[in-house]
Amino acid sequence: MRWLLTVRGEASPTGSGQSDDFKNLVSPDVHGTFDRLRLERGLKAKVWARRLEGTAGFRLLIQFSPDVTVATPTWNPIDSANLASAGSLELEKRRPVVVQFKTGAEGIKFSYSDATGAGRIAFVAEVEVTDEEEP
Amino acid sequence: MDELGLVQEGGYLTLYFPCLEAAIVFRVRSRENRGFEVIDYGPLPIASGTSLPTYEGTVATAPADGVLPARSYTREAVSFPAPDWMRYMVFDQNDVWRLSRDDKDRIFHVRAFVHPPALRVEVRIPKGVPQYAFQRRRVTVGVDKVGIGATRGSVEAIHFPDIQTGYRFGNDAHLDLRTFVRFVYGEYVVEIPKSPEVVFDVLQRRIPSHWITLPVTILDEEVRRLLVDIYRFPVTPPEPPRLFKLYRADERDRAMRDYAEILRHVAV
Repeated sequence: MRWLLTVRGEASPTGSGQSDDFKNLVSPDVHGTFDRLRLERGLKAKVWARRLEGTAGFRLLIQFSPDVTVATPTWNPIDSANLASAGSLELEKRRPVVVQFKTGAEGIKFSYSDATGAGRIAFVAEVEVTDEEEP
Repeated sequence: MDELGLVQEGGYLTLYFPCLEAAIVFRVRSRENRGFEVIDYGPLPIASGTSLPTYEGTVATAPADGVLPARSYTREAVSFPAPDWMRYMVFDQNDVWRLSRDDKDRIFHVRAFVHPPALRVEVRIPKGVPQYAFQRRRVTVGVDKVGIGATRGSVEAIHFPDIQTGYRFGNDAHLDLRTFVRFVYGEYVVEIPKSPEVVFDVLQRRIPSHWITLPVTILDEEVRRLLVDIYRFPVTPPEPPRLFKLYRADERDRAMRDYAEILRHVAV
């Protein structure tokens, strides 16, 4: 089983040096919005491609938590990408960021920091969900 | 088998019934839908507002037509209603795959592909009977259990005459998922080979055949009726119907006698 899930997030920081999570993620396969990706044990998420657009200094972070069911989950960045100048950046055909869901309590979220804080920032990620490989 | 996973005309299809430790061997005389094997059905038949159980033991409500809410599953097996334009022509407008008793020489061989493919799928033959089990049926499993009892993304099913097959679906992701189903199917005109030698060679895998082990771990009354009243497999109550047992290669003579006796009765 392979499922290619397109995820898009958008934010409009109002001040320089702001950081936050992308909270209203959208996907053509998902009804409504969501703020994190949490899958059942045995599945694996591979983040293949990231497209960033926005202002210079926009930094996209992919964060992982081993347990999002606790009151205050611990999030650790596992990948990041920077937009050095205003415009867009496509990162594709690289080795994917891989997260194995071992308990079903893990989660992935997308966060940003923005050095300039002026204007809209957005990203699109292509996430492959699969159960085909050995855990 | 062709590139779609369907049996070619003249090919053999072996359906194994675990509850009987025996099989039916069909020869596909004809494929009625050659060249148009795909039905892009659309979203799962889940109406907006439908209440569905969740893996956490709560209840979720479908927020829109065709959306399977996060962590929910269909409690009862689902049938696929006929599209409006064919509603009054099919045998059962509430189940596009249902065949009548008069269609005894027909079966549908269906491969159901669901999107997103992370959705979990289970087949129930008949529709109302849980058939997925573990450890001699000590445990019943299915899409309602986490990590066991279902496939993801696709499932292969056979639709028999006068028996309703149903599908259950589960969404164990924490996302409300918009669904879609594509069916790849063969409408087969079938016969049971009249030669015990052919049956033996198919079951010994000397003659190529597409094998499907059906999820039939309980001999329900509907299945019994199919085997006895429609296909006319012999039965001596209270024994179960006699299908084609899988004999060892060195039991050929015994198998020939058994198969010949069965073939005197079968009606397809």
